Amino acid sequence: MAILFAGGTLVAALLGQYLLFDKGLREIVASVDIERSLSRNPVRKGTPLQVTAIVTGRGSSRMQVQIADLIPPHTILVDGVTTVTINPDPSSQVRQLSYQIVPDIHGTQPFSGVSVTVGNLFFEDTVQLTRERDREPVLSVQPSGFFEPPVSELSEGNLDSRKLSVWRGTDIHSLREYSPGDDIRHVDWKISAKYGKLFVKRYTGEMSSPPLIILDLPWSSVPWPAKEFDRMISDVTGMVKHTLQTYQYVSVLLISGPNILHLIREEKNLSRCISELREWMHPAERQDHFYHMKDRSDLRSSVRECENGLQQTPDPGMQAFYEAMRDRYLTVLQYQRVPAFSGQVARTLSQVTITEAYLFSLGCGDTSHIRQLARLLQSQNIRVHIRIMDAAVAREARP
Amino acid sequence: MTPPQPEYPFFIALAIGVTGISVLLGSPAWYLNIALLLLVCGILVITRTLHERGFYLVCAGEPLVVACGIMNLWAGLFSACMLAGIVYGALGLLESQKDLIPFALFCGGSFIIALLIQVSNHVPLALLVIGGLTAVILAIQSVRTYQFRKQYTGA
Repeated sequence: MAILFAGGTLVAALLGQYLLFDKGLREIVASVDIERSLSRNPVRKGTPLQVTAIVTGRGSSRMQVQIADLIPPHTILVDGVTTVTINPDPSSQVRQLSYQIVPDIHGTQPFSGVSVTVGNLFFEDTVQLTRERDREPVLSVQPSGFFEPPVSELSEGNLDSRKLSVWRGTDIHSLREYSPGDDIRHVDWKISAKYGKLFVKRYTGEMSSPPLIILDLPWSSVPWPAKEFDRMISDVTGMVKHTLQTYQYVSVLLISGPNILHLIREEKNLSRCISELREWMHPAERQDHFYHMKDRSDLRSSVRECENGLQQTPDPGMQAFYEAMRDRYLTVLQYQRVPAFSGQVARTLSQVTITEAYLFSLGCGDTSHIRQLARLLQSQNIRVHIRIMDAAVAREARP
Repeated sequence: MTPPQPEYPFFIALAIGVTGISVLLGSPAWYLNIALLLLVCGILVITRTLHERGFYLVCAGEPLVVACGIMNLWAGLFSACMLAGIVYGALGLLESQKDLIPFALFCGGSFIIALLIQVSNHVPLALLVIGGLTAVILAIQSVRTYQFRKQYTGA
């Protein structure tokens, strides 16, 4: 009987303590609230993101309370702390958490919730709050390539560009010893086996340049189609926005006929770029004109056409005509100089790195500068896309 | 000057009570109660700086509760309540008047258990009642815990 009594009192004491602990736990958990703010959302995969969380909760006497913010899955905590301790004070307390995470998988990632750990002298328990409001906001992670460090360093005797490359290229730049954090897929297993320690391949960066947007403004001294002009402005603005979103910077060349007006070079700020475009995007005065001048390749092809015609026609009158035309073209070819416009374009292009260009023009009046420009770009292995608002002129201007 | 620690008044009460009851009841094993009382006293002094003081005190005090309970059930109840006071005081759970509520609840619960044992002449019946009550409380608590976690985990 006495042993039963002693055991009964012990069980009663333990049960009582547990019920008291459970009551305190419920009150504490019910008081916990979290409000997170992100430095930016959406975020690109692999880039650090600053998270600030305001945690509200109340403590309880003789109870240790720890509240931890649970970061989204597939993210890495790189800086800061995600846990706060609440004082054993029944009043409501506010704590701020600040930390940096790096998402390593793209997609939508809600936060994992909040973890509340409560303990007293006898018991300890953890409750994970994963209600919808505890998991807000949903982190939107955009895909991205491998973020490669600068592939060349002067200390290694290279003279390549030190610009950060977004996309990993395919060419192997060098090898170096493996260090923790390196991608295991980059390990060169043959070399590693040969030297008995891990070596990773370093790849050259692959450049991904935005297209150059060339805007050919109409001559202010002649009438221009206002509707088409507005459409062209709208198209250019849309393309500038799209290019900025995709490549983070944009270059715009403004010309009017064979006159270079302005170059917006690798602009990263959309509002600044748009305000510059607003300043320049209107019909301009043309100091130089080509007067439908054929360039040297056009003249050579015209000479060839005349010679072909001369051989094929038996008519003496037509032969005399072809001969006269051929002599005229040859004379022009002999005295024609490379226009200053070509040199100006070449100098302008040397300031930007491009592999593609979009040329917007109304196509009214003389379009010989468009042909010249297109040929010049193509000669530098730059793909040219010509957008002429008037479809009939577009066919004529195609290089 | 440091304030008197609450476990010592409870120990003094326990010592006086156990000695008095042993003398009054003329128990043939009175020396056992005194020996176990001295054991509690020794543990109380030795474990002053130890972190798990409460555990050691419970381990040392329970044999005294059993010994007193063999002598007289109400003496066992008295020693159990005093031991609870000592342990609560040693753990710092008797710092305010509000803290007396759990202690009083424990004393009340122990009284009910003692009463139950007193009225039932057989151990299995009392054991069944105490075990059944504990099981019911634990079952209710399990359901409450499940509902609580379901509410907060959004499941």
